[in-house]
Amino acid sequence: MGKRLTTVMRLLQFSDSAFPVGTFSFSNGLETAAHHGIVHDARTLESYTRSLMRQAAYSDGIAALEACRATGGNRYDRVLETDRRLLRCKMNGEARLMLRRMGKKLAELGSSLFDSDLLRQWLGDIRTDAAPGTYPVAQGITFSLAGVNEKELFCSLQYGVANMILSAALRCVRVSHYDTQRILFALGDELPELYEEIRTLSTDDMNAFVPEADILASLHEKGNMRMFMN
Amino acid sequence: MTAETLVRHKTARPAVDFSSAPEMKPYLEEPKAMYVGAPGKHGYLKLGFEIDPRGKCILRELDRRAPLIVQQELYFDEEMPDMPCVYILSSGGPNVDGDRYQQDITVRKNAFAFISTGAATKLAEMRYNYSGLIQNIVLEEGAYLEMLPEPVIPCRHTRFISDTRMQIAPSATALYAEIFLSGRKYYNVGERFAYDILSVCTHGERPDGEQLFREKFIVRPGNMPLCTPGILHDYDVFANVVVATPPEHADRIYEKTEAFIDPQRNMAAGISRLPNDSGLLYKVLGPEPGPVKKAVRAFASTVRQEIKGRPLPEEFPWR
Repeated sequence: MGKRLTTVMRLLQFSDSAFPVGTFSFSNGLETAAHHGIVHDARTLESYTRSLMRQAAYSDGIAALEACRATGGNRYDRVLETDRRLLRCKMNGEARLMLRRMGKKLAELGSSLFDSDLLRQWLGDIRTDAAPGTYPVAQGITFSLAGVNEKELFCSLQYGVANMILSAALRCVRVSHYDTQRILFALGDELPELYEEIRTLSTDDMNAFVPEADILASLHEKGNMRMFMN
Repeated sequence: MTAETLVRHKTARPAVDFSSAPEMKPYLEEPKAMYVGAPGKHGYLKLGFEIDPRGKCILRELDRRAPLIVQQELYFDEEMPDMPCVYILSSGGPNVDGDRYQQDITVRKNAFAFISTGAATKLAEMRYNYSGLIQNIVLEEGAYLEMLPEPVIPCRHTRFISDTRMQIAPSATALYAEIFLSGRKYYNVGERFAYDILSVCTHGERPDGEQLFREKFIVRPGNMPLCTPGILHDYDVFANVVVATPPEHADRIYEKTEAFIDPQRNMAAGISRLPNDSGLLYKVLGPEPGPVKKAVRAFASTVRQEIKGRPLPEEFPWR
């Protein structure tokens, strides 16, 4: 029971938006979506967040679960392959930058918290550019080391995506804290079904279909709006 | 004669089999009409372009199996009259339930080619199985390929899966465009996103096996909201254009290509860089195929201008 309490504490710690990996600097394209009036109220914000969460589940989610399982089995080769595969699926430069920056920070932070040869080896490879160092893989590794299970890892990952967008929304969409909390609460109901859809998929099955969000990311990359990095 | 009593003549070509793809699991029942792999339902095409000893770029290799047809190369491009142009036709009309296709396209060292289809690819209504396509596109050093097929039209209950492998030498350029419609929008009372599934994967690698990029998208209208912010919103047509090209070309094409959202025309387009400095990805969303095709051709013209110093000619008025 005591061990379980500690695990829940770790889950909260790593999922907190104050956890210093820099999630607050990104908006997942929301800034541009708001600028073009695509997201303009609570309803459109909820739809946009749902689209991005689903996309994240089918790419980052699959990679994080695979990294978690590979760490549990002490299979560094599988961690490295997952990391590389995930990066090859990221079709936007800013998204790759975001994933790598946050991934490296979490790997560094994790190395100071956990005594793990696997994590040390991965961080060494990130520093020499032998590994991309993506954030979902970093989450998979650190959550496995902390004893957090796969379902909880998936929740944390989805919470991170939703919270990143909804926190940014408070600064660029006409919504209140009540709206964003209600949206987060509603989206939580959809997690079990989404987890069931992806839990048995492999990195070969990673996919994403968010063409409008991809175009928004491109506009952001080419434009000069810079409240958020993405 | 029922399906059980038909004598089976499986074609000898490599099997196109996606039964291990989890998204196709619900669609593996043998069709009650012609079986999977039956002659006429297993199209094969092999195209090989190269520079001949006189210095002319030609279609050197051509192998085809029904229902796919390529007759011969033509030289109709007024801006590049020395470029072989090929139209892929299908004698079967639409892709039907249980159809399998494989297209192997090679562009040898410094050769160049243009490939399109004679008409839109219609994906018919399917009840038991799916239609699958494997493409192997190989470009040797200095090679250049424009693959600009007409749009794909998925009908009610269409199931379609494709896997396109692009093996690109570091100095080669391949432009590969795909345009997908929402369905038979003006048929009967109208069909929009009435298909079961589109699963489309395009991945690139170097000749030494180094993996470069992998884009896979799965669209299941019955399983996810599509007409929603971030996905297709209120657009009906989407285009995906992969350009594998060296970084110096990619940089200039990227700079020249505009990303935009235009509410007046209900159009949007964006460009991004592929992983591993391997090229670019251009996406277009629009209301109808016409404006989207035009945007894709304008982008293809920018690419051709960068690589070959010539634009694309005006599209034929009947296309």
